[in-house]
Amino acid sequence: MKQRIYLLAFAVFHFAAPATAFAHAQLDHAVPKVGSSVAQSPKEVVLWFTEKLEPAFSSIEIRNEQGAAVTIGKATVVGDRTQLRVPVKSLPPGTYKVIWRVLSVDTHRTQGDFTFRVGQ
Amino acid sequence: MFKNSWPLAMLAAILAASTTSARAHEIVGNRFFPATLAIDDPGVNDELSLPTVSISKTGDDPSFKQLDVSGEFSKRITEDFGVSFAPTWSRLYAPGGPNMTGAQGFQNLETTFKYRLFKNPEHEFVMSVGLEIEWGGSGAQGVGSERFTVYTPTVYFGKGFGDLPTSLNWARPFAITGQFGYAIPGSSKLATTTTDPDTGEQNIDTEFNPRVFNWGATLQYSMPYLKATVADLGLPDFVNRLIPIVEASMQTPVSNTATSGTVTTGTINPGFIYVGNKYQIAVEAMIPVNRQSGTNVGIIAQLHFYLDDLFPTTLGRPIFANNISTGRPMVGR
Repeated sequence: MKQRIYLLAFAVFHFAAPATAFAHAQLDHAVPKVGSSVAQSPKEVVLWFTEKLEPAFSSIEIRNEQGAAVTIGKATVVGDRTQLRVPVKSLPPGTYKVIWRVLSVDTHRTQGDFTFRVGQ
Repeated sequence: MFKNSWPLAMLAAILAASTTSARAHEIVGNRFFPATLAIDDPGVNDELSLPTVSISKTGDDPSFKQLDVSGEFSKRITEDFGVSFAPTWSRLYAPGGPNMTGAQGFQNLETTFKYRLFKNPEHEFVMSVGLEIEWGGSGAQGVGSERFTVYTPTVYFGKGFGDLPTSLNWARPFAITGQFGYAIPGSSKLATTTTDPDTGEQNIDTEFNPRVFNWGATLQYSMPYLKATVADLGLPDFVNRLIPIVEASMQTPVSNTATSGTVTTGTINPGFIYVGNKYQIAVEAMIPVNRQSGTNVGIIAQLHFYLDDLFPTTLGRPIFANNISTGRPMVGR
């Protein structure tokens, strides 16, 4: 009897929940890629997330090795609201840190950071 | 022989039950600490482990196979304070049980109150304190459930190594967690009256209930952390969701040990955790550290749901909470 209850609970969660709930917005991938080296300065940095974002509470900071911001303007949510992109200045060779903070439409807040290199 | 070992079997069952319950998960800065199987992690969250299944052979003489099926429901009262309930159903195969013919039934119900004391996102460090209570008399004595309540004040911690210098990038996905608890039985001894079948004389056997130091740790390497924070190596998504882990869970009787002895028992559990967006699946081997801990390698597996992701506006949020909750930074689909 107990096993049947477990199986029923599993079925309810496994099949019903994905259609009715959201999850935290996680970083799926980025361009430039996390930890990568690129030969030329990118014109923008684009992050793809696993969930739709709330534009007013989602941002990207990009800083050089001296801590100076290198973005142009604010990040914007585009596409199906799962992409966050921000234009950057022409980046000289060096290491850059991307710091992202987002709010998914289900009000879960996530954050993270990574680096990429230019010309190395 | 078995008659004499039965109290030890009951103690072993209690210790085993205390180490196979479902566990919480936690987020600290970039770090996601998954729910672990052998010990509790420092997390306070809304979650459901259902089921956790383990099969092992006990360290009794003679040894017997034991199946445990458990669940745990954890609920945040506030952002930092939560309570969890964990029932466990056990089946002891022959020659286990009081009559050596096997037994089955529920272990004593466990309730844990936990409070997150400190969280440092920059250094991926978190510490919590808790009180685990095993309610005496709530389970079946045939599977070793005691009639007395056991109180275990416990300290939990977690530390991610994301703050290592970039020259050690390969090590930044590592993290450790640990717990230290002191189990205090509500009754220091139990007296049992038995009748000698030959002489008819009545004997009183006294069993002393030891105070036990419960300690354990995990070492984990987070592939989600590697992909999202250190380097996206273009690995398959399945690999990017794995957390290889080694857990160690030990119990050392430290006082009132006249009948229990002071031998440390426990298992070392290597395994993997697969982290989904709303759930995780974990499988670990259970390697006994000595003969008293078991006679072969067991296995434990768990399906664990993140209720904060499944039901973010209802069941998955603290009863008394802000509108925005913190998340679990990791890889995507």
